[in-house]
Amino acid sequence: MIRRVLALAKKELRQLFASPIAYVVGTAYVALTGIYFFQHLVGYNQLLFVYQSEGLTGGGFDQGTVPSQINVLNEVFVPSADDFGLFLLVVLPLVTMRVFAEERANGTDELLLTSGLRPWEVALAKHAVTYLFVLLLLAGSAIYPAVVVARAGLGFEHLLALYIGQLCYGCAIASIGLACSSFTASQIVAAVLGYAIPFVLLDFAWLSNTVSEDVAARLREIALLSHYGSFARGVIELANVVYFASIVFVGWLASLTSLELGRAR
Amino acid sequence: MSARIEALGVAKRFGPVVALDALSLEVAPGEIFGLIGPNGAGKTTFIRILTGYWLASEGDVRVDGVSVTRERFRVQARLGYACEQPKLYADHTVDAFLRFMAEVRGLGGARLRAAVGLSVERMGLEPVRRRRIGVLSKGFRQRVALAQALLHDPALLVVDEPTVGLDPAQQIELRRIIAGFRGTHTVLLCTHQLHEAEMICDRVALLDRGRLAALATAEEFRAGGSLEALFLARVGRESAAGGAA
Repeated sequence: MIRRVLALAKKELRQLFASPIAYVVGTAYVALTGIYFFQHLVGYNQLLFVYQSEGLTGGGFDQGTVPSQINVLNEVFVPSADDFGLFLLVVLPLVTMRVFAEERANGTDELLLTSGLRPWEVALAKHAVTYLFVLLLLAGSAIYPAVVVARAGLGFEHLLALYIGQLCYGCAIASIGLACSSFTASQIVAAVLGYAIPFVLLDFAWLSNTVSEDVAARLREIALLSHYGSFARGVIELANVVYFASIVFVGWLASLTSLELGRAR
Repeated sequence: MSARIEALGVAKRFGPVVALDALSLEVAPGEIFGLIGPNGAGKTTFIRILTGYWLASEGDVRVDGVSVTRERFRVQARLGYACEQPKLYADHTVDAFLRFMAEVRGLGGARLRAAVGLSVERMGLEPVRRRRIGVLSKGFRQRVALAQALLHDPALLVVDEPTVGLDPAQQIELRRIIAGFRGTHTVLLCTHQLHEAEMICDRVALLDRGRLAALATAEEFRAGGSLEALFLARVGRESAAGGAA
């Protein structure tokens, strides 16, 4: 069983890195996160400069002091986490759209599913490789934040929390994209659904004016952003990890169901 | 090592369309059995049910008594399948693809190397072993498809339209390879080419609109003139023309 899953995972990795999309997505993500992180860092430095300059007086602040809420966590990490999350949302469906849909379009799913591979093994290998790619993306984007942590003495746990949060969030987005890819032979359809569903789930602020307070509160509970924000502040809450793990599991289950349903068509 | 196939009232419906209608037949161990018929006769549908890719709406297929409906993975372990228009990974080399399929079949280490080596040798793939499948000719891709189907030395070999689009030399070579399995493996050959079935099959089932229209041994259809005569007599010129279209 393990040999089959590993064989399929190797095949998936080979295919992922044989196509330019992995490199384009990886480069774009690392570049964008680097640029935006740097921008937030510059903004933070400017704020420090303004507060510490001699010209700033009044407004409740003593000359040359910096208010406690102006810190690297609030000015750099929290806004960066928001940006990074958005970038994941933009790039991941480009990777996930191919994973199942291409097999279906080329007919190679028939080869896999008649060669003794269990559908759950196929779904597991494909999901696992995609999550590994998410991990690689995040590792590439971690260089700048790691330097800041080392220089600012912010604490390694903040960076770890931020990246665990991103990993959870990224895997959840990828899982939704993979589930979408498993139900169609069209990569375009898979990509469109892979964007649409996470955008709908992102937060339900757009619905808050049309539903009751109660419903809005419930919707906020299932929104992706409600569970992502705390990680950037250095807090890893088990409930949030479980929430993202549930999405990953449901995505895998949806892929598995799609493979089984294909048999009964 | 060869297998017995029993189809027991197999039906497949896609909404109102009946693709297979209570098909029953039996294939003896070691036999090369042909499935022929016009387009839409249900040949590929039957193969997809036999290989466990699709679920029958009714009935069952058994391979050596093992039900494909209930235990498809046990059946799949006993069969090798080379599908129509070889569905392979174009970005893999022949060697990488065969290794991958061998691993999927549960082979490893020395057994894997031996199985890949034997398949490559059997199918004459050595000259293209390090080449990407995407750049191979159709003939070589068909051979790769057959090579992967043979990796685990299956008792049953299912081959769907193996010679479509091949040049005459490639067709002759592939038929020679398939005929070579007679007696050692059971072969289920699905083909549109009547002369091909005539040349290499021990028995032929003629399907028409999902039903078994005729079942004949090589001697029987040769005694009746040819397989073409049988085809025209049972399916009719109208269907035959439709099938050829």
